[in-house]
Amino acid sequence: MPLFILEDATGIGNDQIDTFQAFIDCVIIANDDGVGIDDPAGGRQLVTYTRTQNGPPQLRLDDLVNTTFTPDYGSGPQQVDIVVIPGLSGFTLDDGTSFQNNGTALPPNSSGLGGSSLNTTEFCLVIYDTQQNICVARDGTGGDIDLGISNPVVLYHEFSHAFRIVTNALLALTAECDPASPEENAAIVDENDLRTQIANRQGETPELRDPNIHCGQVGCDGGCCIIATVASKSLNSKQIHFLRSVRDHFVRSTEVGYAFFQKFFYDYYSFSPQVCTIMAGNPGIPEHLLEGYINPLLDFWRVMIERSGNNFTDAELGAAFARLHSDRDAARARLAALQRTVAYWLQDESAGSDAPPELIKLLRERAWPSEYMQWALVAPVRIYHEMLTLYLAGADEIKLGRSFNEELDAWSPEMPISDVWAALAADEVVKELEFCENVLLQSATSKKRFHQRLLDRFRDITAIDVVVNGLAVNTGVVQ
Amino acid sequence: MKDRNPKPDDLKASVEAIETVPERKDEKTGRKTPGEMEVVVRMTNDADRALHYISDVRATRYDPSTKTLVVALSDEGREVIPGAIMKLPVFRRIDPRSTAEIRLRVPDRIIKLSRSAPPGELAFETHQLSDAQEVVVEVAWADVPYYKDTRAKADDKRLPAARWEQHKARTKKAIKGGRKPKS
Repeated sequence: MPLFILEDATGIGNDQIDTFQAFIDCVIIANDDGVGIDDPAGGRQLVTYTRTQNGPPQLRLDDLVNTTFTPDYGSGPQQVDIVVIPGLSGFTLDDGTSFQNNGTALPPNSSGLGGSSLNTTEFCLVIYDTQQNICVARDGTGGDIDLGISNPVVLYHEFSHAFRIVTNALLALTAECDPASPEENAAIVDENDLRTQIANRQGETPELRDPNIHCGQVGCDGGCCIIATVASKSLNSKQIHFLRSVRDHFVRSTEVGYAFFQKFFYDYYSFSPQVCTIMAGNPGIPEHLLEGYINPLLDFWRVMIERSGNNFTDAELGAAFARLHSDRDAARARLAALQRTVAYWLQDESAGSDAPPELIKLLRERAWPSEYMQWALVAPVRIYHEMLTLYLAGADEIKLGRSFNEELDAWSPEMPISDVWAALAADEVVKELEFCENVLLQSATSKKRFHQRLLDRFRDITAIDVVVNGLAVNTGVVQ
Repeated sequence: MKDRNPKPDDLKASVEAIETVPERKDEKTGRKTPGEMEVVVRMTNDADRALHYISDVRATRYDPSTKTLVVALSDEGREVIPGAIMKLPVFRRIDPRSTAEIRLRVPDRIIKLSRSAPPGELAFETHQLSDAQEVVVEVAWADVPYYKDTRAKADDKRLPAARWEQHKARTKKAIKGGRKPKS
């Protein structure tokens, strides 16, 4: 009976340890009610398990819980118990390695195995962050790190290491993560067993991790996406494919774009999952959003992509917008939907708004204050709304394009500026500016405004100073 | 011929500011972002060639006897251990005769396994970094971009970036009167 979950310990107390989460993770691994936990004793709680299923995760958990392990690391057999340490924020090993957003299995101190010198005890310690937000390499993609990992899967990955530690069968660990070491490859293969089983339980297609790549990073685009939910409730809808292609090939390919999206997603996912929950109980909301918000947003960005690199004249820009709305009846329906959505969000009683108050509160508290949400999601729809109104009022392509360009000149240089600009070398600043100017800042006015904002923020950063003031000398853009 | 090899002090680091970022909790999900310390570091390259450095925190060490916190942007001294993922360092380049700025965040407390506990007992030490009186930042750098050392032997347990680094830029800042909260 050698598997324990830490409940309390000298030096930290029990409010730092997420014992319950670790127990739940064990239950999810077992997928039955045969998992139990004894009362605390000595700061630890013993895990018990009466297995009823025969899958690899269940067999592994059964082994770990119901076998007394006595490995011989070279000085005779010794009993090695496993202690799970869940959710210890700020946990750091002696060599300075933090376990925020990670997990590990440390062999007993006397074992001489990799990592044993960092373990002060004769237990095998399984340590994992229960608030983790880890992203790993998806199998079959050649190394795309975009696959999330749930807490039970992290714990099961570490159980795989722990099993080989307590059976003295640890495989080679190497300093490289690509290709993964034999030990990590084996743990990922085991991890995929649990991923497969969990997906099968839920009737979903398993999403597996690449066993040959152990590299990972903090943060995937996890959680429920409002846009995906509204747009046909599928992560494979054409709207989602379009936004993904914008994100991955258009914006995220640059340092500044990548940093922008990191901030953007951080803010977006501070409210998007809750909006999904609210929408699940309010089926009218997605109807409002699809034509009154999502499709206008996508059409705005379609025009922006067409405009990038083309330096459109007013007439060309107006024509690009008009081409998207050649069906005037559909355009009129879209405008009506936009107007209804505005009324909906403004809680206009005269318009009969039935927007749930918790939704309005959530968006006002989380979405509206974010400069990233305002710039990327709110202002574009406002501009689109104005252009559609103008178009349907009979404006010709030149007038429409002129108004559109004026709006874009005011909007585009207000793009949020991230700290990453300050860490770029001069040629990288040049490259990033070229991209921004090609895609967004096409007029001299917008370039000048954006350059000034960069200088105001980072005037004493050499690369910014040299590049932006150099451009000023060469082009006269900044005065 | 002029010696073009950079000198060990060609890349300098200086701590510009140290701020506290309080614990945040998402009311709906209950997910907590623990309190953090943010250290703003200014990098200066005095060399006549570009230099390359690690720009994210790889290790944090706290010495309670001297109340010194070391924020290491270096993999030197770190061991290869089993884990859920291996996070590669983030590398940046700084041009000749240039400055740059990076922002580093570390948890506002460090919890370690205690080495003074009785044999067999699992005990911890907690160190609140608000007690720190000095912050040291070490930045690993080299005059060439990071590349994988294909000569690495199986018994060489250094992490790849530790084999790559040539020097460290080291800076320290005394903390007087506490850190200011991040606005």
